[in-house]
Amino acid sequence: MLLHRLVAVSPMLLCACFCLVSFPPNLLQLLLPRVSYLPVVTDKVKKHFLKVMRPEDVEEMWFEYEGTPLKWHYPIGVLFDLHASNTVLPWNITVHFKNFPDQDLLHCPSNSIVEAHFMSSIKEADSLKHKSQVVNDMQKKDHKQLWMGLQNDKFDQFWAMNRKLMEYPTEDGGFRYIPFRIYQTLSDRPFIQKLFRPVSPDCNAHTLGDLLKEMYPDALTNDGEQKRYQVLIHGIEPLLETPLQWLSEHLSHPDNFLHICVVPVPTD
Amino acid sequence: MSCSVLDEQQFRQGCQLLLQRSDQLGDGWSWEAVQGSEEGYLRKTARRSVPSDWGPLHDQEGFSFHPQTLCDSTGHEKEEQDPAASTGSDFLSAEEQDDGSYTVTDSSSRVVQYEYHILFSCSYGAPVLYFRAFTLEGKSLALEEMWSTIHPNYRLRLQNCPLSAISQQEHPLLGQPFFFLHPCRTEEFMGLVLQAVQDQGRPVNYVLSWLSVVGPVVGLDVPLQYCTPLHSAVSLNSTKPD
Repeated sequence: MLLHRLVAVSPMLLCACFCLVSFPPNLLQLLLPRVSYLPVVTDKVKKHFLKVMRPEDVEEMWFEYEGTPLKWHYPIGVLFDLHASNTVLPWNITVHFKNFPDQDLLHCPSNSIVEAHFMSSIKEADSLKHKSQVVNDMQKKDHKQLWMGLQNDKFDQFWAMNRKLMEYPTEDGGFRYIPFRIYQTLSDRPFIQKLFRPVSPDCNAHTLGDLLKEMYPDALTNDGEQKRYQVLIHGIEPLLETPLQWLSEHLSHPDNFLHICVVPVPTD
Repeated sequence: MSCSVLDEQQFRQGCQLLLQRSDQLGDGWSWEAVQGSEEGYLRKTARRSVPSDWGPLHDQEGFSFHPQTLCDSTGHEKEEQDPAASTGSDFLSAEEQDDGSYTVTDSSSRVVQYEYHILFSCSYGAPVLYFRAFTLEGKSLALEEMWSTIHPNYRLRLQNCPLSAISQQEHPLLGQPFFFLHPCRTEEFMGLVLQAVQDQGRPVNYVLSWLSVVGPVVGLDVPLQYCTPLHSAVSLNSTKPD
């Protein structure tokens, strides 16, 4: 049932965000991969707008949507789902080259910083899944291959290594703990991340619904109530009955985390 | 070594004990709770005078100076505070090299306002130190400026292990940029500390021991008085099921 739903959804929603980057009065149209990060895919933006700017006006680049600085260390798809999931495409974001908001955003002086964050997430995910055994057994060049696969959009290269991070002993029925983060915009807390096993003590598979019930029960709709929230992964709403282990293996981001966005249902 | 991994409840117990002692000593730690839950973190602010002449690393070889204070010899006593602590951790070797003497080549220094948070990482089963710093005018310190406030001996150690280095990270509860010391090596060095202490049959506060190792690296002083008799320390002798 879930597979049917995935296939029916436009590949664009699952894979990319159609985006308009404005630096008034200039505009640039881009198709941004959901699974990548803003600094990695916006070299073009910088080069494009530098043509119309004086060098002394160019400081660290940053992006903003409707006044909210966009956190570059979150995958692009997460930023879109969190801030603009129910708006009409293209997603209109503004680029800035001055007044970097250092109380809101991490600095990103080079792509090596993005790589460091990405690898840090992979290592943290493996700490949860395998007590770091798989990632520690990899060589430095294997780690590099994961990053290069993402950066250069070469998913075969990426998956050759990533598949090792998706393995688990058959008798365990799944990973040790599921790497996940639940995002919401109603409070200051950036995300919820805690320990959660994919299998219950009596060997039942935990579902997405079980996770939400434990971590963010407000996101769920009770019988007879009107639905208040959408629970989005890669821009789609998986069925709450979907096994969490399956979601972790198949719908995680390249950083090996399940990024789940809880957004209010739009009121028309 | 499951005993070197902490769970959230043990973390909170360790924090509460540290807090009790801090209150007695007037050391300024407070517990900040996440609204409506038992979750939270320890917080402390402190002002520190940093010599202006701690420049690039290669200028500082052989320089012996204790970063915390200009006057007392707390640094020396810290080595005796926990003899187990001198068995192996990279962070601690810097302490061993300190012969207690110091030379200040330049008397100019600047005052920096620090804010320290101790959070729990469930992914690594360890406490994590988040911190940020401001000048007295309220301008936040960037990464390079932060590096220049760290004692040259510690800088060398940190540069040799990139994942233990200081980097910027989003505060998991507040969402703001902080610096932090990556927790992925904590289990490794705490394992050594705890093993030696447990061999002596002494009770231990994991959070306090951990803090006394990582704190000094970023200018956070942990006075010796914290270690005078603990009435009900968190015992990690029982194996934690996993």
